[in-house]
Amino acid sequence: MILADCGTVWSKICDTGTGVLDVLSTKDVTVKYPGSFDIGTGHMAKGRSIRYENELIALIRGSMRLVEEGTYSIVDVGGRDIKFCRLKERRPLKLDWNQSCGANTGFTIELLAGYYGLDCNKLPVTGERIPLTCGVFGMEKMFDMIINKVDPAEALARFVHGLAYNVFNFCGRPEKLYLSGGLCENNSFLASLGKYTDVTPLGRDVLLYGLCEEYAGPTGG
Amino acid sequence: MIGYYGHPPREVLEEARARFGNDFIDLDVATGAPSSGVLPRAYCKILSNIVDNAVNLGDRLAVIVASVGEEKCDGGRNVAVILEKMGFNVVQTTNTNNLRRPVTISTSGLSLKEKLDRIMASVVRAQPRALPGCRPTHGFWGVPPNDYSLLDLFPPTTHVYGWTRCVEAGVPSDLELELHVDPEVPTVFFTQSFCAKQALAKFLAGKYGGLCIDIDTSVTDSILAKVEAFIALT
Repeated sequence: MILADCGTVWSKICDTGTGVLDVLSTKDVTVKYPGSFDIGTGHMAKGRSIRYENELIALIRGSMRLVEEGTYSIVDVGGRDIKFCRLKERRPLKLDWNQSCGANTGFTIELLAGYYGLDCNKLPVTGERIPLTCGVFGMEKMFDMIINKVDPAEALARFVHGLAYNVFNFCGRPEKLYLSGGLCENNSFLASLGKYTDVTPLGRDVLLYGLCEEYAGPTGG
Repeated sequence: MIGYYGHPPREVLEEARARFGNDFIDLDVATGAPSSGVLPRAYCKILSNIVDNAVNLGDRLAVIVASVGEEKCDGGRNVAVILEKMGFNVVQTTNTNNLRRPVTISTSGLSLKEKLDRIMASVVRAQPRALPGCRPTHGFWGVPPNDYSLLDLFPPTTHVYGWTRCVEAGVPSDLELELHVDPEVPTVFFTQSFCAKQALAKFLAGKYGGLCIDIDTSVTDSILAKVEAFIALT
């Protein structure tokens, strides 16, 4: 069975037969996987999945398989959106999904890292943060810092710190937060978010867990 | 043609019917009328509908029966004055009826869309008979939305609360009834964006663990996903 979580930027695809989890750029998905998916979620899986699941439902169901507590907060920071759910006794208490503002998203980091030739998963951790009420203004501040001789890696780390702070606020400032998505692999983001809340990264395949019980994480190479 | 908005008293609508005939139109409802540009762009879509519909219908409207009291909102009062100044024949009304009729549409097993259609139709003509009730699995609290496709997300076992239930009960300014929900029923608290009722929706959703949403013009993917998830997982 082919399971797919196709976000705007990154896709996570797993053949449960082989257990191989393939993380690839969404723009390459149609070439590598020309057929339909058995179960899909995410913007780009719509219309090419035999069964399509709402992303919030996939996130919540996936988190329920990975988190033991009944009451917790889970956030998925995607390439272009952020999905959040606060559960109480394993029922959604608060749901939110922001897909309008780049100040909250991973793709902005990737764009900036790409521009400066930095590895966004190897940024420093910094105590400073750029206010990111607006992503565009945040970028402007970052560029100003670089003009004023701040090292680009440090400037981007401050941007990442600002994003982590935004995520914390978006989630209602919880004491503990489970994180889903590609930023689970970004140490600068994790350490920045960790300044505000007890963060537990669950990985970037949480939504796949939510698509079907058969998926139990990558087992194949 | 008789235009009306909100929930004017039945007797005023009957007077209008006697004078101008039986052709009523609810100006609150989106009809595809082009924007008149009279109201600010970022404004309650229902109030914008009222003005846009009125401007679009123009001379075909013999009268506009306007709700301007607590049963509507300040916006309804302001819009009535604007329409008057624009040359429309406006009858301003307030509806302070506090004698509740029993509600049966709100608690029936009809589709949510059908429930809201029948309830809002009851403003101009009495609904013929009581309907059997169903056990609620979910609740919808609020006013009829600008985009009715929102209602398709709910199962028929959804009970109606809030202002819409007040309309069925014939008491559109009854704040106590508007605040009533069944605490054990997972409820979506809906308002139009830029509506004063957002305060009530947020308060009630927080108190009862419901989902609070607001929509401006049409249902977004984000809203759709939230409501779908809430319904599927509660």
